[in-house]
Amino acid sequence: MSAEPNAYAGHQPRMREATLLDRTIAHGGVMSIALFFIVCCLFFSVTTNAFLTAPNLLNIVRQSAPLLIVAAAMTFVITTGGIDLSVGSVLALTATLSAASLQAGIPWPVAILMMLALGALVGVIQGYFIAYERIPAFIVTLAGLSVIRGFALLITGGYSIPIEPTSPFVAIGRAWVFGIPAPALIATVVLVIAYIVFNETHFGRYVTGVGANAEATRRAGVDTRRIILWVYVLSGMAAAAAGIILAARLGSGSSNAGQGFELDVIAAVVLGGTSLFGGRGSLAGTILGALTVAVLANGLILSHLSPFFTPIVTGFIILVAIWLNFRLFRGGARGR
Amino acid sequence: MTDTSVSRVRMTGISKRYGALQSLDNASLDLKPGEVLGLVGDNGAGKSTISKVLSGAVIPDTGTIEIDGRTVSFTSPADARAARIEMVYQDLALCDTIDVAGNLFLGREPKRRLAGVPMLDKTLMHARARDMLSNLGIVIPDTRMKVENLSGGQRQSIAIGRAASFNPSVLIMDEPTAALAVAEVEAVLELIRTVSKRGVSVILITHRLQDLFLVCDRIQVMYEGRNVAERRIEDTNIEEVVNLIVGRKFAARSAGHPAERSVSA
Ligand SMILES: Nc1ncnc2c1ncn2[C@@H]1O[C@H](COP(=O)(O)OP(=O)(O)OP(=O)(O)O)[C@@H](O)[C@H]1O
Ligand SMILES: [Mg+2]
Repeated sequence: MSAEPNAYAGHQPRMREATLLDRTIAHGGVMSIALFFIVCCLFFSVTTNAFLTAPNLLNIVRQSAPLLIVAAAMTFVITTGGIDLSVGSVLALTATLSAASLQAGIPWPVAILMMLALGALVGVIQGYFIAYERIPAFIVTLAGLSVIRGFALLITGGYSIPIEPTSPFVAIGRAWVFGIPAPALIATVVLVIAYIVFNETHFGRYVTGVGANAEATRRAGVDTRRIILWVYVLSGMAAAAAGIILAARLGSGSSNAGQGFELDVIAAVVLGGTSLFGGRGSLAGTILGALTVAVLANGLILSHLSPFFTPIVTGFIILVAIWLNFRLFRGGARGR
Repeated sequence: MTDTSVSRVRMTGISKRYGALQSLDNASLDLKPGEVLGLVGDNGAGKSTISKVLSGAVIPDTGTIEIDGRTVSFTSPADARAARIEMVYQDLALCDTIDVAGNLFLGREPKRRLAGVPMLDKTLMHARARDMLSNLGIVIPDTRMKVENLSGGQRQSIAIGRAASFNPSVLIMDEPTAALAVAEVEAVLELIRTVSKRGVSVILITHRLQDLFLVCDRIQVMYEGRNVAERRIEDTNIEEVVNLIVGRKFAARSAGHPAERSVSA
């Protein structure tokens, strides 16, 4: 393998060191959502008096804890190329059942464990049909959305079940630890763990692999079906945790909780730059996406718009943000 | 064959049907330690399918596989990997959104423990990926590049590097040179020679017949899922191989049964 030395020697290497700009473009999804998040915060800080106050900001993180937790798990699901539409229903079922089991005199730690196990069970059942029976995730979890919500309604008869305000259970939703609301603290712990698992472990790597090329990942000796099953177990458990936190904060379990929650979660994940086609996910992006969704909802209420405006504006903003994301930051990946 | 040593691979009676299509029909394959076998045949002859059976990616309907004299049954590619069978797939089987090092180590990423929790050892992975690539003379500027941003030939090199670098005992290459430039093809042929000298058995599938004569010990011809001919490389020439691949088509149509017969030479 020798070549004419003078013609080939001494040419410039075609690769330069990745500059800051290169890296920014490579992480375009995260950068653009960060920018968009900041713009939203600035906008509401200027247009409303109440937005940029410590109580309101803490309120936002407290209220967005369920969204953050489930969006973190949903990032895994969507990165495998799947989707979980049942999270809102699982949230409602676990919220009502945790209230019901406390009413039945079950100790609160047992109730929590039971709810998490229930979420995992839902995930195992859905994951089994998706991973092993190869039914599209959209279909399986759409059926799950309907069935699970139905159970929640059946159990409560449509009423909400109150939780004794003196029960230590409500502390999960209402307590303050070191000046931070407990739900925000729980969400932070979950997000840190999710970030590490997603980026630094074998499981996280195979989640990306399954979404990028499931057959290649299988041929590399990875049990891809188990990976897929697990991501639905994670999202089921995350939805259960969200249901517990919500019930504790509201002091009751309602079978109507979390209507449309799955759409907020998916919007948060997709806003954060995770591709619905799988193979590309970003947990940092998801966190920013979820906070953006929460800030929008909060800011629009503070702007004294009719509350019915919120879904309209949110929907448009999501469309525009993702469109900009596609247009501006397509770099990094090959145009396709 | 008069060779008495135990075969590294012996596949017999392998059949695989996809719906109405009999992809493999009682096919067989024999491979000695250190031997380089050229597998040729028309498009759709079943070359990829029989090699995927050996790599565990396809489970045959019938047939037995023996590795070093022991009967094995691969239920997944992981089993074949454990038996040190590595394959470069025709479609490369790379994950586009994972970086070069991640693809090289896919399925066997080095671990490090952080507070007892197993994690990816990315530093080690990139360092070893750089070594692996430079040992094979593969030029990739940065192991942190995503595979989707590489050229077709570079991607093929990654797939070859992955299969060749983990000390295989059987190396299957399904059209490894299809996208490669002249120098890179030479490097792959050289790689085949080196590893086979070390005792690695190689199956080379290619439509570049001249390459077969540079590295193979033996050629096996497949036609519509069956083995139709086998030649020691010194007993044949390119015209005969061409006729074995193509000529059969016409012979088979009239005869209905492609009995082995010499077409020319
Ligand atoms: N997963 C599958 N589903 C259905 N049919 C398949 C599948 N895999 C292979 N086949 C069929 O089996 C036959 C043999 O395919 P195979 O890929 O082994 O051919 P090949 O000899 O490798 O051809 P080529 O030279 O074009 O790569 C083809 O007719 C193909 O259509
Ligand atoms: Mg093929």
